[in-house]
Order: sequence, then C-alpha cells, then structure tokens
Amino acid sequence: MLKMTHLSKVYRTEVVETYALRDFNIDVKEGEFVAVTGPSGSGKTTFLTIAGLLETFSGGEYHLDGIEVSNLNDNARSKIRNEKIGFIFQAFNLIPDLNVFDNIEVPLRYRGMKAAERKQRIMDSLERVGLASRAKHYPAELSGGQQQRVAIARALAGSPRLLLADEPTGNLDTQMARSVLELLEDIHREGATIVMVTHDPELAARAQRNVHIIDGQVVDLSEDPRFHTVHAEHTGTTA
Amino acid sequence: MLHIKPIVVALKRHKAGTVLIALQIALTLAIVCNALFIIQQRIGRLSRPTGMVESNLLAIQNRWVGVDDNATGPLIKSDLQALRQLAGVEDAISTNSFPLRGGGWSMGVRHDPDAKKPVSSAAIYAVDDHALSTMGAKLIAGRNFRSDEIVWVEQKAYAASPQIIITKALSDKLYPNGSALGKTVYITDTARPSTVIGIVEHLQVPWSGTWSDSFSDCVVLVPTQLTGNFGSYLIRSKPGQLAAITATAPRLLIKNNRLRTFSRDRGVRTFETVRAQAYKSDRGIALLMGVVCAMLLAITAAGIVGLTSFWVGQRRRQIGVRRALGATRHDILGYFLTENLLIGIAGVVIGALLAIGINLWMVTQFEMARLSMTYVAAGVVALLLLGQGAVLAPALRASRVSPVEATRSV
Ligand SMILES: Nc1ncnc2c1ncn2[C@@H]1O[C@H](COP(=O)(O)OP(=O)(O)OP(=O)(O)O)[C@@H](O)[C@H]1O
Ligand SMILES: [Mg+2]
Repeated sequence: MLKMTHLSKVYRTEVVETYALRDFNIDVKEGEFVAVTGPSGSGKTTFLTIAGLLETFSGGEYHLDGIEVSNLNDNARSKIRNEKIGFIFQAFNLIPDLNVFDNIEVPLRYRGMKAAERKQRIMDSLERVGLASRAKHYPAELSGGQQQRVAIARALAGSPRLLLADEPTGNLDTQMARSVLELLEDIHREGATIVMVTHDPELAARAQRNVHIIDGQVVDLSEDPRFHTVHAEHTGTTA
Repeated sequence: MLHIKPIVVALKRHKAGTVLIALQIALTLAIVCNALFIIQQRIGRLSRPTGMVESNLLAIQNRWVGVDDNATGPLIKSDLQALRQLAGVEDAISTNSFPLRGGGWSMGVRHDPDAKKPVSSAAIYAVDDHALSTMGAKLIAGRNFRSDEIVWVEQKAYAASPQIIITKALSDKLYPNGSALGKTVYITDTARPSTVIGIVEHLQVPWSGTWSDSFSDCVVLVPTQLTGNFGSYLIRSKPGQLAAITATAPRLLIKNNRLRTFSRDRGVRTFETVRAQAYKSDRGIALLMGVVCAMLLAITAAGIVGLTSFWVGQRRRQIGVRRALGATRHDILGYFLTENLLIGIAGVVIGALLAIGINLWMVTQFEMARLSMTYVAAGVVALLLLGQGAVLAPALRASRVSPVEATRSV
C-alpha cells in the first residue's frame, strides 16, 4: 500500500540544511494498522506529510498503492488525496466557518459527488462516530473529543483506503483518546490501512505494528541499543 | 465548478467585511453611473452646433478708447468697409453678440402684446444684411434683410424692428403647426409689431450654460446696427485664409483708427477659441468628475484587494486543510473568485437601485435627464470585472498555499 525506499527530505534554509528524513525505508501492507513513534523532531510528521502527498520529497522513491508518486502533477496528487487518503490531524482542523455537516461535505464536493450521495455518506459517517444529532453545530460548539470525531467522520466519508493520523489523541484526555482509538480500530477492522503517529506508548501498543523513527530514520526497536533509553524518555514525558 | 452554498454559508460568518465591501461596491456603482452620465451629458453640450460655419470665423471684440458712445457709428461703418475689402475676407459684420459669446440680450417673444408671459425667450442679434453670409446661417424660408432696412441707433433708443428674421426653433415654438413667416409678433416693445420676413435653419444663443437650455436655439435677428462701445466684429475668411486674416484684420483696424484696444483673452479669437472658452467650465467639471470616478474605483479595488488579502492570511490553515482534503489549486482560486463574485453581485444589485434612485432624485431636484439603463448595465459589468480583477492577486496567492499548511501547529 505504502512503500518508501531510500527516501530523503531536506529542508533548506539560508543557513542550514536539515535532513528531516534520510535513507528512510518503510513498507506498510494493505490493511495494516501501524503506529509510528519517536522523539520530538525525529521526522514523524514529515513522514506523514510525504506519505499523504501534502509535500514533496528530495530523494528516493515512494510508491503509493503501486504508483510512483514523484512524477505526479499537483492535480493528480490532489485527486489521490481526495479519493484514497483520509487525514486526521492533532489540531482537528475543522473549518470554523462551516457546520459539522458542511465540514464533512468539503472533500465530497471536491470529488464532484451528487448531493443525494453526499448527504447519505455524511449521515452515515456521522452515525458512525455517534454525532448524528450534531450535524448543524459549528466546531466551536463542540468539545475537543467531538471535534476530533467529526474530523474522523470527514476522513471516513470519502471511504479512503489509507487513513493517516498525526497524534489524533494529542489534544484529548485519556478517556476521549481511548474512544477515538476504538473508533480507529473499528475502521481498521473494516479494511482500511491506518498509519498513526502517537506519543502515547499505551495507544501504540494496541496497533498491529510499531515503527520507531529516530533522527529521520526507521530503527528496528528489537535491535537498536537506543531503544530502552528512548522508550524510558517517552514514558517519562507522557506520564 | 462553483460551490455556491458553502461559500454563502461561510460568508454569513464574516458579515462585517462582506457588508462593507458590498456597500462600497454599491456606492461606487451608484456614484460612478451618475457621474459618467453627467459627464456624457456635459460632453454632449460641448459638441452642440452653433449653426455657423465655425471653421472660417474670426471674432474681434473692439473697445473704443476716448470716443463718445454716440460717435461710434461712423467708425464702425468705416471699419466694416475696410474689413469687407481685406484680402482673404469673405464677409464681415458688426453685432452686439453672437453664439457662445457669453453675454448678450434675451427678450420675451409674444403673440399678444398684452400677454403676461411670453411664448419664449430669445436672444437678439442686432446685425445688417451681411449677417447670414458672414455666419454661414442657412435661410430656409422668406428673405434676407435689404440694405435700406438697416437702421443705426443707440442701444438705449432701440425699439422693436418692423422686420425680423428668426430661427426655425423659435418659429416652431411660436407656431407649432405652421410657419411664422409673414406673421406678426412682439419683441421688447409691446406697441410695435415685428413681421417675420425670414427663417434660418439654426443659430445658437450666446450662452452655453444650462439656464438657457429652454431656448438655446431661439434667436431673433434684427436689421439694426447699435452704436456704443460693446460690439464685436464677426469676420468670415475665405477658405484656408483664417490664419492670415487673424493676423491682418486687427492690424487693419488699428491702421484704420488707433482709438481702440483689444483685450488680451477676448479681443481677437478664432471661433475655435471662442468655443473652447465657452465650454471651459463644462470641460473642467467633466474632468473633475472623471477623476473622482477613477479615484472611487481605485479605492474600491484597493478595498477588495485589502479585505481578500486579509481573509487569505486569516484562512491559510483552512486553505491548507482544503488542499489536504483534495482541493486543487484551481478549486481554491475558484473559491475566492466566486466569493468575490457573490459579494459583487449583492453590491451591484443594491448599487443599481441606488444609482436609479439618485438619478430620480436629481431629475426632480435639478431637472436632470433620466439615467440611461445602458449606463447602469455597463457600470454593473465594469464593477464585477473590477472586483474579479482586484481579487485575482490575493486569490492566486491563496491557491499557492501548500497543503502542508494543514499540519503546522497553530
Ligand atoms: N518546514 C520546515 N522547515 C525546516 N525544517 C523543518 C520544517 N518542518 C520540519 N522541519 C524539521 O524537520 C525535523 C523533523 O520535524 P517533524 O515535524 O517531522 O518532527 P516530529 O517527529 O513530527 O516532531 P514532534 O513529535 O515534535 O511533532 C525537525 O528537525 C524540524 O525542525
Ligand atoms: Mg509532529
């Protein structure tokens, strides 16, 4: 589903070049639920933005669903984002000017879907996240957990094959975090591929597979000598 | 692909800015439509014909110095004789006034000497039998004055002439269903009737302002030479000789008699200059209104650029999110263009009504003409295009916001 080989991402500013990712290799199979962990600044978000075609990369190869994406133009990338990928952000990123219904409708409109089908899908996905009664509410009128569930409903409405989540529970309390995770697990069981960045080892443990990123590279936790110290650091910061 | 509903919904959450820009567009449209209409009318006035062959005319305003008013008659007679013999001169007259001169006499014309209100006002040109050929005015009925009908009289002693020539416009006013030729009317003096012996196609009054609009083509020619110190010579050159006589005619007059001056700006003028000076203020007002219109349009465009730039800045993250959710650059561009178009349409609808309202008010207050709908339609199109043009740069900037903007934390 998602395969990166020797991929690199360099941020160039006037004074420095930062390698956010270097010789980055990952292979996520169709239907997998992968949790990505790593210290702050290690490149997790960078990985996710490249995986989701939000950003281009500097070197290496990236095949998404069998397609080499580096040659695609902006319109083609937009189309893939729209049809194949669902995003869930730490900051929810609902559009404040639109109510819940209209927010979920945004990606469906860009797909050129008919009104009746849009409505059907919006109500289905709202049902799914348990917020059918809040369709007319504005984001500011919802709790953080509710907003994130609307964001999940928005990601789901287009039936994406790949769901990318960057610390989806980062702004939520433990109980809400758990219910969001349960929702993701449900979605996964229905066949979606999920890649989730998280700082929370407890949540990471519930994924099928954990990928650890340090200094822009994927490290094998079982072999890496740094694993224990890093892991300890994390439990320390999140507790 | 226009997604109008969500744009309208989102605009409702930004009422202040939306209403402000829509109203600005509305006001601009209303003012610009009316201003351009007034400009067009002013410019229309500028090109009104005088009824004369202007391209060959020279006007000399003569002032005697140290000559008694009663004694000017022989001097004028001698001037005319000299002018008519000058090489390059077709014909010449002495007259109290002429079209677009600025000052002149207006008098009431009556059918009935006892009527309180005259049928029309009219300008009086006191001329001789050379007037028609000098002015190039076309006689369409009756005859010209005969030389034996010309009387020399002091201005204060003028009494209505027994024979007059009038313009067709005045004839039509006096006798809407027929011709004034041969009829008797009363000018100035209620006791002395004047008979219309000829009708000329067209001559304009001396005044260019709107106050004389109701009788702007009503002129009476009387076979009288007024003595005094206010007259002008109107000289018609042979074709192509205007420049030459502009130089030779004043010199000839000075040679003929030194007791005179020509004022600097109204002394010796080709008719082109007379016309330019007569309409100077009309042209000034048109120019001023044009500048005001241009400024209003610029301010409105700047307002749209400003507000849209502000909104684009404010919505960077939202634009990133839309891009992440599958919007193409084109979709984002379209969003801002459509948003502007919707505000613009609201603005021009209000503006069109306002434009018509302002015009109706001016119609009742200042006897303005009714605003032509072509102006409103052209204004609507122009303002919508202006809006789309103004919004283009910020909208293009919005379309270049990277989808990665969605992931940036706050
Ligand atoms: N736009 C950018 N310009 C320059 N450097 C950047 C940019 N975005 C990220 N980086 C750098 O790339 C590296 C990886 O950043 P990234 O955001 O991927 O880390 P992260 O693992 O998501 O961290 P966190 O856990 O704090 O979210 C960091 O050193 C960061 O400073
Ligand atoms: Mg991050």
